[in-house]
Amino acid sequence: MEIVTKSSPHLRRPQARVTRMMRDVSIALLPLVVFAIVQHGLTALWILLAAVFSMAVTEYIYYQVTDWLERLKEAKSETEKSIRDLKAEKKELRAEARQKKTEEAKEAYASFLSDYKEKLAPLKKELKEENKKAPTDENKSFRLWNRRFTLTNFSVVTSGVIYGLTLPDRIPLVVVMIGGAIGILLAKLIFGGMGQNIFNPAAFARVFVVLSFGTLLSYETFVADGAAGATAMSILNENIFDSTVTEHYGIWTLFSGIGLPGSLGETSALLILVGGLYLALRRSFDLVVPLTYIGTVFLLSLSVMFAQGLDFWFPLVHLFGGGLLFGAIFMATDPITSPVTRPGRIYFAFGLGLVTFLIRIFGNLPEGVVFAILIMNMFVPALDYPKWARNRFSVRAAVIFSMVVVAAIIITNVGVHYVG
Amino acid sequence: MITGSKRVSDYKQLMKELPTLRHVDPEKVYINLPGERCPKYTVKVEKGDKVKLGEIIGERDGGFFKQPIYSTVSGVVEGTTEKTDPTGEKIECVVIKNDHQDTYHESITDRPDSVIADFKKKDFVEILREKGLVGLGGAAFPSYIKLDTDKDIHTVVINAVECEPYLSSDYRLIKDQPEDIFKGLSYVMQAVEAERGVIAVKKTKRELIEVLERELARFADLDIRIAELDDYYPQGWENATFEKATGIKVDVGTLPMEKGILGFNVSTCAAVYEAVKHNLPVIKRHLTVNGDAVKFPQNIRARVGTSVKELIELCDGYREDVDEVQVIIGGPMMGKSIPDDDAIVTQTTTSVLVFESAEYVEEPCVRCASCVYSCPVDIQPVSIMNAVKRNDEKSAQDLRADRCIECGLCAYVCTSKIHVTDYVRKGKALLQNKL
Repeated sequence: MEIVTKSSPHLRRPQARVTRMMRDVSIALLPLVVFAIVQHGLTALWILLAAVFSMAVTEYIYYQVTDWLERLKEAKSETEKSIRDLKAEKKELRAEARQKKTEEAKEAYASFLSDYKEKLAPLKKELKEENKKAPTDENKSFRLWNRRFTLTNFSVVTSGVIYGLTLPDRIPLVVVMIGGAIGILLAKLIFGGMGQNIFNPAAFARVFVVLSFGTLLSYETFVADGAAGATAMSILNENIFDSTVTEHYGIWTLFSGIGLPGSLGETSALLILVGGLYLALRRSFDLVVPLTYIGTVFLLSLSVMFAQGLDFWFPLVHLFGGGLLFGAIFMATDPITSPVTRPGRIYFAFGLGLVTFLIRIFGNLPEGVVFAILIMNMFVPALDYPKWARNRFSVRAAVIFSMVVVAAIIITNVGVHYVG
Repeated sequence: MITGSKRVSDYKQLMKELPTLRHVDPEKVYINLPGERCPKYTVKVEKGDKVKLGEIIGERDGGFFKQPIYSTVSGVVEGTTEKTDPTGEKIECVVIKNDHQDTYHESITDRPDSVIADFKKKDFVEILREKGLVGLGGAAFPSYIKLDTDKDIHTVVINAVECEPYLSSDYRLIKDQPEDIFKGLSYVMQAVEAERGVIAVKKTKRELIEVLERELARFADLDIRIAELDDYYPQGWENATFEKATGIKVDVGTLPMEKGILGFNVSTCAAVYEAVKHNLPVIKRHLTVNGDAVKFPQNIRARVGTSVKELIELCDGYREDVDEVQVIIGGPMMGKSIPDDDAIVTQTTTSVLVFESAEYVEEPCVRCASCVYSCPVDIQPVSIMNAVKRNDEKSAQDLRADRCIECGLCAYVCTSKIHVTDYVRKGKALLQNKL
């Protein structure tokens, strides 16, 4: 028996695990997956599988390649190491000779060069023989499993399923795969993998698909009197006060998602809320973010409703009609791309709500959730800036924030007045 | 879990039920010469000298205060040796062979109550200084300096929260000697002329509250109340206790005395009674031997200077099937893991914990902010960690890393099992080096 020392604390919370958190998100998404398959048939299953598969495979290949490159960098033997040292020394001396331009440095370089080749030649010969004798096995070995691969902790599965659920049901599988691969590569892996990414990979992938292959996407229509392939939000995009939207899709249809065209997982507000409830009970996400996000959109649409004398359908369609609930509960709550302080998260979620609403009302696009998430992701470092990020609301911060909220409401309504 | 939570499972159920084992007669005691705040010392005894219980054998020098060292047994001095102290350092100790007679030194005499009733602040301060009493909760700050405050004190708070998991020494102390605590509190209140006394206990310790309330009936003439605090960690942190028990918020960095509050740990309070009434220094103390790698965890009342190895053997030793253990002096959250078990019980030792060494696999930080939400001093451990990784003093300063009290909650709650507390400690060190 041996006594070891460690620094305090010597206890850890058993329930606190990344895997548990990510797995919970996957579980919360399950009802939506089932609903999507029931509603859209096997197409939905293929899309989801393609999304997860493309992300997982891209990540796997990326880590295998980077590992391989790292292994290449490592010197295989003593001989090779000395060759590298020699070369590095030459490089250093040359740089010094060029920079300083003193006689001393030049001389040192020249004297080094004089016997450089003589030193190098036998080493190279030795290395050749070594390699011939025993091609070192461990350097060539191919590790099937990579420790950085995040399939085990459900991170990549969660990203893939979320990405798949944001896609429309009529989309070529090739596009799904390209989007997934690009999304995980550019939004996650390049930044250094899990925990380092600035952008939400699922949101990035979705935006990439919309911008690059927009014409290939369309929505299936179920109901006979539904506007052809138009979601509730795209009807509102034509005319933001178009109250016929409720004639096409009743509030119950919007809430339950049955027979509602739209992205695979975004239609059923009911099941999204069930998933959110599960995550809240398991404390696997921060409830502050979705509540503030949804609350902001609701508040803004409510203010527009009063200013324009609309009925209550307006805020309800904004809540349940688009991807707001899905984005708020499953994408905006991604902890990696959120600020770390409570006030920071509130500002972040408020910004999400504001940007989403502004895009919906003034933008060219029917839907603004994923764009809002990507835009606000960029503000996270600013919200976390050490100089002002605090975990308590100061009176000053609260006053400024409420002034910003009031200003946002006024600006939105002035804008709506002129646009409408 | 992405959540701010200050709940830490306390694992105390078993230990609370166990009676206190008395282990007050060791063969030899080892009295530490340098204390936690006193690196310098002088020894006044030599090998072969006969000493009595309560006799002064040396003096520690803490710079702005001096502290006598007392023998805790009667017997023969056997010279000095090196032992591990609670911080893990090797220190000089005087070895005294116990003659099992417990012959008290002449100075150890009881004071009659009538004499104590006339005591003023300076008398109490003098007694505490003479008896070398320090904060027994672990801080080891000389109690007489605390008592000698010139501020106007209105409330004396006795901290019996014991928020560290696994520990039950204060719990047992209150159950065993409730009267001493109330008397000690009444002495402190008399000394500083405080109007109120508050005993802060965790709400969940129902039995303790019962015991205290029964005892309280006998001290009805004093304005003492029992504050029932929530079961949070670190509720026993002075400032948190004061805020919850009295409603007065004490900021990090200001002394509670400035707000009119004087705080004592419950075991210090009992020791005040011993010192004033019986004129005794700290001879014995309650401590817990607990943890998953010790066979029979026990609450023990042991003499100061007892060897820790002896106490572990008293609990039937280490479990045989464990390869690597950690021996921790203090609680599992803030305690110090010592390099060997050749340690001694000092005045401030509250517990000896023996854990099977657990390896935690670190994952990348997912910025879940559990550490930020949980932090009792409202700093952002995760941002400090990132600043430390960049060696960024400026950010560590802006993030107020120096406020950290090292309670260990950030590492406890971390979803990725990262040792966040260590990084924050490095951040504090970064700031200190700069100054």
